[in-house]
Amino acid sequence: MILDVNAYLGHYASRQLRHNTASSLLALMDSKKIDRAVVASASTITYRNAQAGNEEVAAEVKPHRDRLIPFAVINPAYAGWQDDLKTCHEELGMKGLRLYPKWHRYSLTGDRCLELVHAATERGLIVSIPIRVEDNRQRSWLVDVPDVPLEEIAALVKACPKARFLLLNGIGFVNSPLGRTDSGLPANYAVDISRLNALLDNEIGRLLASLGADRVLFGTGMPFSYPDPALTKLEVLKASKEDKEKIAGQNALHWLKEIR
Amino acid sequence: MHQFPGVQEPHSGGRLSRAEQRQRPHGAGLKQSVSTAVALGTATGGLAADGPDRKTKVIDWHAHLMHHSRSTWEADDRSLIEAADQLGIDQLCCSTLTPRRPATAEGFRECNRWTLEGMDRFRGRVLGYCYVNPGFKKEALEEIKRCIEDRGIIGIKLYNEYTCTDPVVFPVVELAIELGVPILHHAGHLHYFLDAQPHVSDGGHLAELARRYPEAKLICAHICGGGDWEWTIKALRHAPNVSLDTSGSVTDEGVVEMAARVLGVDRLVFGCDMSLTASVGRLRAANLSAPDKEKILGANMAKLMKRGKS
Repeated sequence: MILDVNAYLGHYASRQLRHNTASSLLALMDSKKIDRAVVASASTITYRNAQAGNEEVAAEVKPHRDRLIPFAVINPAYAGWQDDLKTCHEELGMKGLRLYPKWHRYSLTGDRCLELVHAATERGLIVSIPIRVEDNRQRSWLVDVPDVPLEEIAALVKACPKARFLLLNGIGFVNSPLGRTDSGLPANYAVDISRLNALLDNEIGRLLASLGADRVLFGTGMPFSYPDPALTKLEVLKASKEDKEKIAGQNALHWLKEIR
Repeated sequence: MHQFPGVQEPHSGGRLSRAEQRQRPHGAGLKQSVSTAVALGTATGGLAADGPDRKTKVIDWHAHLMHHSRSTWEADDRSLIEAADQLGIDQLCCSTLTPRRPATAEGFRECNRWTLEGMDRFRGRVLGYCYVNPGFKKEALEEIKRCIEDRGIIGIKLYNEYTCTDPVVFPVVELAIELGVPILHHAGHLHYFLDAQPHVSDGGHLAELARRYPEAKLICAHICGGGDWEWTIKALRHAPNVSLDTSGSVTDEGVVEMAARVLGVDRLVFGCDMSLTASVGRLRAANLSAPDKEKILGANMAKLMKRGKS
């Protein structure tokens, strides 16, 4: 069973995305034998009112809830986010959040974000944070949004030990407190493999050794990215069959609390 | 015109290299070389393999051996070959670069010496580029001649010391034409000024150079590691003697299909630039026919490596 924790629906401001409707994404998943995916709105990255994008995603996935798991994008700096969070969780059935602190310009450890993370935690929602949306070298002339520094995420996971975080599109964890066992951070976060290497520096293998096989999850970044690079990593990764199955989907099911 | 050492006859020693072992037929009805199948994902149920019998090698057109100032260079080089084994890559076209640019003449000579040593250490697996800084005209031209005429180097690697339309680069291009070898040129188009690379070339510069030298065999490096890839592909459209290497760490969906649509598959060459699973996965994913992928994975490069004008 393969569950992708890092997928998207909708449009992105700087580049045309294909496979960005529920039906077309499912067709792509079928062609790659990916069973399920966590999806959030790509449009909300640049929407002022993120809730409009959440509603779009909810409508798209409604006939496909067995395979597409919706996450909400909430901007704690925007009016009414508490109402949006309640709606996304209670009415739209969202299972988690995606946060874009650099795009939406708030501090991960500021009061507003901490309030959001605590509220999400009380609701049992996972908080996912894409470290980046796209490679900075190809950014539009209109925007210059930096990656989320891993140090800022480390401070957040430390400040919210009861929360559960998924770190997406990240790399370089092994050189940060997030990738070390002696950093004193709670084990309340997991990372996806979408940008990690399985060969040469083999960051995936090193994180399996440091964080453990329960905290590395399969993610592709589709449809921003081709899914095959992540599948290829899983294929060539030097790990036991059991650990590969954890990465491919079992860990995600645990994090989503679909199995205990 | 002649075939370079290592292209058709990769290894004549006693024990078979892993690449050669993969080339051995594994049974009747084999439709692709085994390595091509591994790279395409067909060996693991990825893409359908059909069409006529093919013997195309998978060649990574853009790879690097490590500079020897790096303490782990030897292990790193070995890891690269082992990773290539896992992914079904038969040969890697490698350059060694100085840690800092602009390279001095001594610096690029030293790098090329190490590239040649790497070709010996990994005979049949590593093909070499001669890296030079065109600013050292006499030394660069002598080094290119020595490496290509005497040592079996397959092409020239130019980095970012000069924009490729700078006249200082022209003697190197003219020598490449004379020798009939390709130039792999570092390139990228960013919508902001890159302080670290003030003279970086982009697809537009390479297209301009190609118009000046239509007989040159130019390769624009790493479409997936050079900024706005849509811009680069469009900029290269009307420069038929510029090929595009598919390497880089960016895994954006659709890049290979757009490049194939705008430039044609005959102008695409497979490369990794050390981003191995990203680059193999990208080719596996691309919505192209298996024969077209085989062109990108090896056949197009084999043509470029044949000595002679494009």
